[in-house]
Formats: sequence, structure tokens, C-alpha cells
Amino acid sequence: MSATNKVWILLCSILLVGSGLLWLPSVTFASGPVRVWFSHIEAENETLRAIARDFTAETGIPVEIVSRRSVFDAPADLVNNAELTDRPDVVFMQAPDIGGLVESGYLIPLEIGKDLRERFADVAFKAFAYQEKIYGIGYSVDTSGLLYNKALIAPSDLPKTWDAFFATASALTHINQEGKVIRYGTRLNPKDMWFNYPIIREYGGYYYGTLPNGAYNAYDIGLDSESMQGYVHRMKKAMSENLAISNPNHTESHISYEFACGKVAMILYGLWNAQIYQNMGVDYGIAPLPHHRDGSVSRPLSTVQGFVMNRFTLQPESARAFLTFLSQDENQQRLIEAGNRGDQKTGERNPANIAVMSSAYVQSDEILSSLCQIGKQSEPFPNIPEGPIWYNYTPTAFRTIFFGDQKEREVDPEQHLKMLADRIRADVASMNERAEPLQMTGTFWVWVLCIFSGGIGLRLFVRRKKGRASYRERLSKKETLLAWLLLAPLILLLALFYLYPIAHNLYLSLTDYSGINLRDYRVVGLSNFRYIFTAQISGLVSLTVWTIVFAVTVIGLSFLLATLFATLLERIRFSLARIYRVIFILPWVIPAVITLLMWQGLLETEGGMVNQLLGWFGLPAVPWLSHPLWAKISVVLVMTWFSFPYFMVLVQGLLKTIPQSFYDVARIEGANGYRVFTRITLPWVFRAMLPMLIMGLIMQFNQFGVYLLTQGGPAGDTLGAPGATDLLITYVFNTAFNTKRYALAASYSVIIFLFVGGLALGAMVIGKKRAEGELS
Amino acid sequence: MKSKERLTMGIIHVFLILLAVVTLTPFVHIVLIAFGENVIGTGVTTPQSFTLRHFRLLLTETHFLRWMLNSFIIAITTVAVAVVLVSISVYALSRLRFYGRDHLFRGILLIQVFPLTLAMVSIFRIFAAMGLLNRLAGLIVVNAVLASTGLILIAKGYFDTIPLDIDEAARIDGASRLTILWKINLPLAKPMMTIVAIQSFVIAYNEYVISSSVMTQGLDRMPLAVGLQSMITGQYGTNWSLYCAGAIIGSVPMLIVFYSLQKYFIGGLTEGSVKS
Repeated sequence: MSATNKVWILLCSILLVGSGLLWLPSVTFASGPVRVWFSHIEAENETLRAIARDFTAETGIPVEIVSRRSVFDAPADLVNNAELTDRPDVVFMQAPDIGGLVESGYLIPLEIGKDLRERFADVAFKAFAYQEKIYGIGYSVDTSGLLYNKALIAPSDLPKTWDAFFATASALTHINQEGKVIRYGTRLNPKDMWFNYPIIREYGGYYYGTLPNGAYNAYDIGLDSESMQGYVHRMKKAMSENLAISNPNHTESHISYEFACGKVAMILYGLWNAQIYQNMGVDYGIAPLPHHRDGSVSRPLSTVQGFVMNRFTLQPESARAFLTFLSQDENQQRLIEAGNRGDQKTGERNPANIAVMSSAYVQSDEILSSLCQIGKQSEPFPNIPEGPIWYNYTPTAFRTIFFGDQKEREVDPEQHLKMLADRIRADVASMNERAEPLQMTGTFWVWVLCIFSGGIGLRLFVRRKKGRASYRERLSKKETLLAWLLLAPLILLLALFYLYPIAHNLYLSLTDYSGINLRDYRVVGLSNFRYIFTAQISGLVSLTVWTIVFAVTVIGLSFLLATLFATLLERIRFSLARIYRVIFILPWVIPAVITLLMWQGLLETEGGMVNQLLGWFGLPAVPWLSHPLWAKISVVLVMTWFSFPYFMVLVQGLLKTIPQSFYDVARIEGANGYRVFTRITLPWVFRAMLPMLIMGLIMQFNQFGVYLLTQGGPAGDTLGAPGATDLLITYVFNTAFNTKRYALAASYSVIIFLFVGGLALGAMVIGKKRAEGELS
Repeated sequence: MKSKERLTMGIIHVFLILLAVVTLTPFVHIVLIAFGENVIGTGVTTPQSFTLRHFRLLLTETHFLRWMLNSFIIAITTVAVAVVLVSISVYALSRLRFYGRDHLFRGILLIQVFPLTLAMVSIFRIFAAMGLLNRLAGLIVVNAVLASTGLILIAKGYFDTIPLDIDEAARIDGASRLTILWKINLPLAKPMMTIVAIQSFVIAYNEYVISSSVMTQGLDRMPLAVGLQSMITGQYGTNWSLYCAGAIIGSVPMLIVFYSLQKYFIGGLTEGSVKS
């Protein structure tokens, strides 16, 4: 072995060992402290740390409080970390998230003593009750109420019933001589199901019905009941009286902003923008909702946040002791005060503890005390895994009912509500469907074997022919060894971070892994694939066509624009071009998450900057994101905006490689700039960039950015059908994730991977053949 | 003739300015929101009054500078790892003739088709098995892998354009492979290195999905992208102004890097994509 090779081997070994060292697991102790995942509010974490110190002083049990980014991440992170060495023992999370975790066996039911039960509002336990057991202790109740502007309505004049609410709102609405509304009694969002839920209840509608034992019955959906007609009627009347938003694209944010501007007397909302109301000088209050007709209390929906216990905790007794300790009245008091940022009393935390509710801290503040009255009587959002299925359909369905379908025709509400309820029931059924293991017959395996061996045989045949025909280079063994050694670090890393996920995904696609079966999933064979190819194939063809059209247009446009502008940049002074280049590169450098959201705002039909600009030139407003065809165009344009800068940078240098003689010949022949561009520049650049273009095209198939921009919408009139801008990948994943059927999602990704990978391979082989053809 | 020339230049500038406007529009919006007062949501209305409060809040009440430092450490180290990884791998793929080369190269390109963001459960397991959770080292490794695989196509294309004759001449003179790579190939491949460096920097600096899943503990250990995101859904309610302010400051390092290195960058990318 030569000296150089020894050096190479040494170098690679160092790299390998070095990377190995990075991965040495951190030193962990067998029995660590009780680990609590808590808040995103640092003051609150600090307070809990102080409480933990008291606890440790009293019991000798060490406790570690972990600051968390967001409570929304808690369920997924718990599943990931539940059985690790530094697993959390107690986790702060939202009650609606516990369903899937309980079903999958990640939480321990808690014994709630009489003393504890009496010291907290019922809602604190009801929210965490699942199949007659309680899995958590509520700490804060996030809810909404009747938010009112004191300058426009006195607290004593607030309506006592829903009928009075609409009457008062109507009376408070003022229209000036020009027919413009200058003040609103209220603003409702007809598409909404959360804040309007109490009104829906008033008219006899409901979400999930309950069984006699108090558990939810996910199949009992009270949206297609006859009484819901009353709700639709009431809301339509409110719309005609200017009590509801008239722009179908507007949301609660718009309503909240109108309230902040002092234009609305009452809205159904929470305190999330309270700081802004204060800044803008609105003197606001929050009151309990009007009562129902029969005199009973109207309950707004609420999200209770509280503490649950990891089933895999190694020290359940200590964890329980700490849970009891932090549930003591004085500790709850300290936490709530920290969470509301002391004297700021922001209302971010709304206590579930009764002693805290009646404390001076809360009672001295009109808003806080009112908020806990509301919270106490609120209805916790269903914590069953089926809970969020609502969100997927109600906005679209109510949009159609109240604002008309895609062609802006009115629809029959009764029929549409039935479709909505049926759709939700179908998803509930789908979520609870357990995949039956699919036994493969002997014939199937024979087929697989035939295809497989046939493929290999064909391959060998072709290879042999080629090998004989063309000259075959001798590959030295030494060089092969050296090459693989050099590539070993990369291959190892790829195996870890690409091959393993792909293999694991393949495995998951053969199981019944789902949101309600996250742990004890079993292999069910090709059952998921059968489901895909039997039940769902109908929409996939048109989706695939649109995906291909989308990818080709985006890459084609990006390429054309990039070449054009790179050519233009060539012609101007370098110092100027340098500045232009930095501007043009911006879309590539700034995170797409934020720019996509900006585009969403800019492309608003009413008030969006783009339409305002068009207006200045006397052009009509364009429904950029709300009309199916325009939405498709917008998506293509925005995605082109994202991908052209990178191509332009590529092309710019590429232009320098075009031989000057080409241009000379063109000049002699008297070709103008346009002809030079189309006959010389474009073909040259295209040929040189082909590999990059192919890769770019492939990457557009996995484009999730579209989803951030349009959520796949505008949705079709049939609920659950692909929206106008849904790509293959966004649609299939959305359907699988809506019903938490993760194994199905894995199967889809396997199919898409094979499909797109096949396309890519084909393109590469053809590209290579062409390149070889040109060489010879 | 002169006036015609001037007219063409004028038209060119009109086109360029138009594109610049289109490119900048969303950023104008970001700036408006970052400086704007009382912003609810992103598309609700254009702010009427302006303030520096969000920038002050960002620097005093969040771990923003810490996040930026984290991201910077991650990005710089990723660049170092990726450059070494890419040069070794590309040298082998481009300069050595060995069994399985084409298949390997195609394989590396093909596996990227798999949308890694959908396999977070598996990625998490890898991280957990290696004790990389909640450590910057883990993010560096995974970003380096993402960057190297993504850049190998361009890098190999570039390396292929460096004439073999030079290598051979050097070998006849008795230079070892290592000397050839170190003294001849790498200096010639400097533009390619710059591309790999800048692109890995951008990739590592902006990576969000994997980081957010594997960095579960501690607010001060997060990279910038994850920290910024937490301001939309976390501590400060839906605070778009804070988020936009963060995005503006956060992108400055990248713009500086791009502006100062663009000469290499453009030259390098070109030749890499000519023949791959």
C-alpha cells in the first residue's frame, strides 16, 4: 500500500471517528429528577422552579422544570420523548390533545381526591375526563365571551338573551346618509364554528353528542338537525343587517381589528388582542354570553390547559406528589400571577382554581374576574381524537351556505348541512376503522417474483449487450476501494438520515399506525395500499395532471424569466447589476414561511396591495386566491417568484460560457436582439442547465409551499374533494392526516416516491443518453 | 444610433425595475408590519403608525440574539462539514473510476426525491438513538447531510470541468493524489467551494422542520428559525410585528454573505452546471 493511500485512509478514519464522537450519548442518570415540561412564559417557569425548590426542601425529591416553546408541540413531543432517558414525567398540555394519547397509552389516569376536586372548578376535570377517567388537572381556561366597547354600550345595557343580543346589535348599528355603516352593533363570522357555537346551541345544533355516561359519541353530529335551519336563517338575517362580515375571505382577525378601531359595540371573542385594544384607546370589557331562551347559561367553548402524567414515568409516586403540591391553592396563585405577568394582568392565564378565582388579585380586576366566571361555565372542546375533524369542513361548508358556491349561486342549506354532517361522520368512521391484515395469496408472491426476476434478467441482458458492444474500461480494485472509502462518510450519513427514514416509512406503510394507535401498531400487510387503489383512485388522476402542469409551468417560467433577466443584467453596468442581484436573490434567502404569508395578504381580493395597485391603473379587482382558475395562476406565479432567483444566478454565469463567435455570426447575419435571445442564448442555457432543471422539476412535486399560501383552496363544492390548488402530495397527506391515519400517509409517500423517483430516473437516463449521443 | 442605444438601455431598466418592484413587494409588507403599530393578522390592514418597539422588545425580552448566535454557530459549522464532505465525495465521484459509480451517484440524487419532512418520526428516532437530541451538534450533522446531498449535482458538474490533464501532468511529476487534490484540484474548485459554502449556510440558517422536532427543551437552545416561529404561536400571542422584525434582522447576515461573495458564487455555479 502506497504512502498516499495510507494518508487517505487515515484522513477518512479521523473523519469517521470524529463524527462518531459527536454522537456519543450525553451522560444520563438512571433516576433523575421529576421532569416537568411547562410553559412558554419564562416568568411562569421561574415561579414553578421556585415552587419546585419548596417541594424539594419539603420532600427531598428533586424537580426539573423545562421551558417549552409552545403548548401546541406538547403531544407530538411527548410521543417522541416518552420513553427516552430524559423523558418528561409531568407535561403541560391542552386538554383537546389528550384523546389520541390516551388511546395510544401515553397517559396515566389520575386519582383525584375529594379535597382536590372541591378546590378546582368542574371544568378543570371535565376537560381532562376521558372514558370515565381523569387524565389531568386543569390550570388555565382559555375561552371567549361577549367583548364589548364601553363607549358604545353600557354594561347594564348588555343583552340578557340571544334574541335581545341581535335586537340590541341591530339597534346599535348606525348607517350614515351615504349608506355607509359607521358603527356596528356586532360583527359575526358566518363561517365560524367556535365563537358562534353558543348561538348554534341556541338553535339546537351541537358538535358531538354525549352518551348517558357523559362520554362523547363521535357519530352523533347535531348539524343536520331540523333546528339548524333556524340558525342558518338567523345568521342570514344578521348578514342582511350588517351584523356579520360580508367578505367571505375575512376572518376573526378582521373583526377584532374593527373592534380595535372602536367601530363595533360587541363581539364574540377572547382577550388575545387586548393589548392592541388598549393601545388604540378602546375601553373594553368582557361579559358572560347572553342566556339561552330557556334561561340556561350559554357556554362558550374553551381550551383547558393543564398537567398530565407520562405513563412511562419511572417515578410515578414522586411525580404525583409534585402534581398535588403544585395544585395547592397558594402555588396556583403564584403561578397564575406570574402567567398574567404580575400587575399587567394580561389575562393570558385564566385560573381553574377556586381560591385563586376569589383572590384579591383576580377580584380587583374587572376583566380577570369576569373571565373566570365565563371560564367556570365554559364547555371544554371535545378531547376525543375525532375533535378536530370539524375544522376541516365547517369553514368551507358554511362559506358555501352563507356566501354561495363557487359560481356564487345560493345553495340549499338543508342539503348542504346534511352533506357536512355526513362528511364528518364518514371521517369519524374512517378514523376508527381498523385496517384488517391483508393475507397475501401465493399467486401474488409468484407475480412479485416473476416481475422482480424479469426486471433483473432484462437488466442483465441489456448490460451484457452493451458491455460487449462498447469498450469496457478496466476498473482497478485499488481505486474502487479507495473511492468507496472516501465516500464512506457521506454514504453512512445518507444511510442514517435518508435510507433509514425511507425504510422506516416503508415499514409504517405496512402497519396500522395511526393517531389513535401510536404505539402498539401491528403489521397489516398491503391493506393500506389496497385501500388507496380501491377506494380513492377517482380524484388522483386529475390531481396528478395538475401537479405535472404546475411543476412544468413553474420550472419553465422560472427558467425563461431567469434567462431573460440574466441577459438584461449582462447589458448594464456591473455595479448596478450587483445591487439588482441582491434584490432579486431576496426570495431565496428569507424563510418561505413568512414571505408566503405576506403573499397571502397581498393577494387579498379586497384591500390586498396587488388589487389596490391594479385599481390605480383603473383595472378591476382580481379574485387572486378565491377563484379556482385565478388561484391556480397565483400559485404558479408565486412559486415562480420563489424559484427564479436561484436559476437566474445559475444562468448569469452560464451566459459567459457562450462562445463569442456565436454572437459574431449572428451579427453578420443581421439578427436582432430577440432572435439572438431565442436562437442562441435560450438553447445554450437550456442544454447546459438540463440536469438542474430536471432536479428542480422533481422538487416541485414535493412543493408544500402551495399549502401555506392557499391551503389547497379554494375548495370545491363537494366537501373533502381536492381544492383547486391542491397538489398530489398536499391533498393525499391532508386526507390522511385529517383522519390521523398515518400509516395511510406513509403508503401514499411510498407510492409518490416510486412514481416521482421513476420519473426522475427516466429523465436522468434519457438525459445521459442524449449527452452521450451528442459526444459521439 | 446613440439615442437608440439609450432607448434600449431605458427599456432594460424599466424591465429590471419592474421585476425589482415585484420582488420587493412582499418585503415592503414585512417591513411595514415590523415597524407598524397594532397589527392584528398579516392581511388585515396596512399599519397607520410606526414604532421601533418590536425591535427593542425582540432584543430585550426574547432570546433573539442567542437564537441568532445558535443559528450562526450551526450554519458556520455546517458549512465547514459540508465543504469537507462534498469535496471528498465529489473528488471520488469525479476523479476516480470505480465499480458502481454511476449507480451510486444516481442513487444519491434519487433519494432526495423522498420528502424528508414527512418522516420526522424516523428522523427523531435516529437523533434519539445517537444522543443528538437538544444539541447543536445534531442539527449541524443533519444540515450538513441535507446540504451535501443537495449540492453534489452542481459540485460534481463543476469538478468534471476541471481538465484531467493537469492531474496527469502532476502525477507524472510524482505528486501524490493528496497533493493533487490539495494543491491543484481544490484551488481550481474554489468557486465551487464558495457555492457549497453559501448554499449550505442558507440551508442550515433557515432549516425549520427538523430543528423544531428535535430541539424540545430550553428556550435559549433553539436556532433562529424555530425561535422566530415560536413567537407566532407562543409567548407573545400572535405577534406578527415581532416575527417580521426578527425575520428582517435575521436575514441581514445572509444578505451580507451573498453580496460580498456573489462574484465567486456566480462564476462557480455556472461552470458547475455546464456539463453534469
